[in-house]
Amino acid sequence: MKLSPIAKRPLLPTGLRLLNWSLGAWTALVFLFLYLPIAVLVFYSFNTSKLNVVWEGFTFKWYAALAENTPLLGALKNSLIIATIATILSVLIGTVGAWLLHRYRYRFARSIQTLVCIPMIMPEIVMGISLLILFTVSQLELGFTTVILAHVTFCFPFVLVAVQARLHGLDPALEEAALDLGATPLKAFLLVIMPCLLPAVISGGLMAFTLSLDEYIITVFTNGLESRTLPQEVFGLARKGLNPMLNALSAVFIVTTVAFVIFSEYLRRLAAR
Amino acid sequence: MKLIRKFLTLGLVALTATGAFAANKKGELKLFGWSEYVPQAVLDGFTAETGIKVSYETYASGEEMLAKLLSGGTRYDLIQPPDYVAEALIKDGLLTPIDQSKLKNFGNLMPEFLKMPHDPEQKFTVPYMVGTVGIVVNTEKITEPVLGYRDLFSAKHKNRIVALDDGRELAVAALYVLGKDMNDFSPANLAAVRPILAEWFPRIKLFDSDSPKTALLNGDVDLGLVWGGEAAKLWQENKKFQYVLPSEGAHLFIDLLAIPKRARNVENAHLFIDYILRPEVSKLISDEFPYTNPNAAARKLLSPDQLANPGSYPTTTRKLDTFRHIGDVGSAIDELITDLKNTK
Amino acid sequence: MQTLPSANAENPHARRPGLAGWLLLAPMVVWLLLFVVAPMAILLVYSFCTRDDLGRVVFSFTWSNYARVFEPIYLQVLGRSVLYAGITTAICLALGFPVGWFIARQRAVVRNRLLLLVMIPFWTSFLIRTYAWISILKSEGLLNATLLAARVIPEPLEMLYTPAAVMVGLVYAYLPFMILPVYGSAEKLDNALVDAAHDLGAGPVRAFSEVIIPLTWPGITAGILLVFVPAIGMFAITDLMGGAKVAMIGNVIQSQFTKARNWPFGAALGIVFTLLFVLTYLGLQWRARRARS
Repeated sequence: MKLSPIAKRPLLPTGLRLLNWSLGAWTALVFLFLYLPIAVLVFYSFNTSKLNVVWEGFTFKWYAALAENTPLLGALKNSLIIATIATILSVLIGTVGAWLLHRYRYRFARSIQTLVCIPMIMPEIVMGISLLILFTVSQLELGFTTVILAHVTFCFPFVLVAVQARLHGLDPALEEAALDLGATPLKAFLLVIMPCLLPAVISGGLMAFTLSLDEYIITVFTNGLESRTLPQEVFGLARKGLNPMLNALSAVFIVTTVAFVIFSEYLRRLAAR
Repeated sequence: MKLIRKFLTLGLVALTATGAFAANKKGELKLFGWSEYVPQAVLDGFTAETGIKVSYETYASGEEMLAKLLSGGTRYDLIQPPDYVAEALIKDGLLTPIDQSKLKNFGNLMPEFLKMPHDPEQKFTVPYMVGTVGIVVNTEKITEPVLGYRDLFSAKHKNRIVALDDGRELAVAALYVLGKDMNDFSPANLAAVRPILAEWFPRIKLFDSDSPKTALLNGDVDLGLVWGGEAAKLWQENKKFQYVLPSEGAHLFIDLLAIPKRARNVENAHLFIDYILRPEVSKLISDEFPYTNPNAAARKLLSPDQLANPGSYPTTTRKLDTFRHIGDVGSAIDELITDLKNTK
Repeated sequence: MQTLPSANAENPHARRPGLAGWLLLAPMVVWLLLFVVAPMAILLVYSFCTRDDLGRVVFSFTWSNYARVFEPIYLQVLGRSVLYAGITTAICLALGFPVGWFIARQRAVVRNRLLLLVMIPFWTSFLIRTYAWISILKSEGLLNATLLAARVIPEPLEMLYTPAAVMVGLVYAYLPFMILPVYGSAEKLDNALVDAAHDLGAGPVRAFSEVIIPLTWPGITAGILLVFVPAIGMFAITDLMGGAKVAMIGNVIQSQFTKARNWPFGAALGIVFTLLFVLTYLGLQWRARRARS
């Protein structure tokens, strides 16, 4: 990967350097804000007390309890499966939809655009209950299928809007040039447009994955027994009183992913060797 | 457009009529209960003994249960409705009668929890666990006695109170203060309740029905109107949290076991109910959930500490009242609470 | 300048779709019809119905649910929800824009990692995260302890269960939805363009307001949409961190389907709420189009 001009250039105008420096500091502060509660929950996952109230002593027992809690781990697996499939479908529908709405002048483009935004505004309970009625009517047994259908419905608009922002002001000549050079529209889309949209597709996909992973109300109404998700399990446990086992679960999950993200380059090189 | 209309008509039909799904295998029990309310050990024990597989689907609120039950999708064999919901289900003919001759442990239940207003003939329900709503006080911070709702919501305790985020419970407290029937939500009574709640609301620091003990443990508040079970857990944590039933009167709630009309495995449901009624099984539930156990034989197995917990077994001389089905008044109470929260 | 993300608003090269164009769009349209339009239609029918004793919907015709929606109580609730969402959006923009921009200026490898790091905190459960915030903000919590130790404050501040705590929770929950779209459109910009602005003698402020903001405007508007719209209906945070002391529109609608068991009224609230959004959205688009032409 080629270095960006900022990193390469030895001397920057003072104003720009100052701006970059303060932007970096600002970003660091925002990351501190984002990770502060995470640090707290990891801290309490080592607490002997059952309650996240006072520090009583160090223990690994919640991690041991976690390893034995099959329903919780099963729910985590279900959540990951559902979030992954919902994200793939959302990215597919959202990206293609955004591109088509950009490229063609559809008759009902504005109505479609508005419809896309409705799942974002619709209160979760309204969507959950109306989908429950819909699924009952169509005799779909509640389970993985129904919950994924529901999740895609509220996730894909986020991808679509993110990709649209990126498409905005995209040089129209880009696709035309590719077509002039003899590429089929599909090839032009995949080889020319797609790479250009990738950053927005990634951020849209990340949002979809996160939303799906954390959705509770819509899931409750559209989910069956076999596909119980993690939020359902957590809200259930909350009735009995939350305990640090859930912190331990979050801690394991977060620390693994963060470590993976940070060391991914190293891991990649290791794998390439 | 036509398609949509067709779809909609279908929807109306499905909500009122009953759908049919593939038949369940024998040896199965579809239990639809409060999340975490039935301990895993109980489920495992039942399966080990009878070979009947229990699928335990859960809900976090009585209304969630009602919505899923009424939508008619899954056919549940056993549900856990609260008393006033069961009353409505009985009235609408949505429950299957329970055959007491099949429950040889039925006699373990204390008579005071039987033939109650929600099921006067004791035909459709069996008590599972019982609880109260009362006042919990952090006695390290609050030294003077707090005996009733008036003491709890007094101006002295401004910003030190947590209350259940439940319009009906709050309205009931106000009705008790007025000395009225706690199930009488006539317009006149609702109007009388309003100024009392309007006075109380600004003094309440937070409303929380799910985990009111959190704010008490954190020291953010010193008093609360909470579920007895929550108070019991606080007492287990620290004896400084004392629980009293308000002198003006208190709400007693009963969570029941009942068999829906459309159940497929009625026989298995009976087996499960009978299993739950065994003293040693019922004790397991008390160990996990420190609510009031209606099973006399099971109470004998509890530790002195469990029995001394005021949150689980409060002492009272006054008769406790249960909620009755109040039809659509719930909507009026909800509007009152929304309005009061608005003007704050 | 466009104010909202919208269909081909600025693409003069957009063509009339042929059969292939429609076929490709069909899956999304069918999806929208099935899972957005159909549920809305069910809701619309319900909103004219009444409820029976048990809370089941009874199919009769009444306007009364709509009459109730426009009572001052509910308008006030809606107003408050919009206000909270608006403040949240403004703070998210102020906090998130520089971050999105900064991430976009990094090398590609670093970029993607930082992006992931923005999102990962949200892969924990909502409840667990919120309880972590509660243990930071409570009167004997981390923040008060730190401030007391540093002798900034003489006695613990009451932070939890206040509107300020609600704002912290809302901003925390929605910040990534501002950072990501801003990043998406800032990444596209050529570094050289920004440098050029400086080389031509523009100070940081002018470079920012005359080059950076206009060029990332689509990302900003997308971010505003993704934060503001979902935030209006949010209520779990106001309940847990604000102590459920004020009613939010999401809250009121939720309790119609649960506690109050009045589905028809809940449906009417949902319909009016959605319609208000649709009208505002179309109105803004229409204004944007007029401004352009």
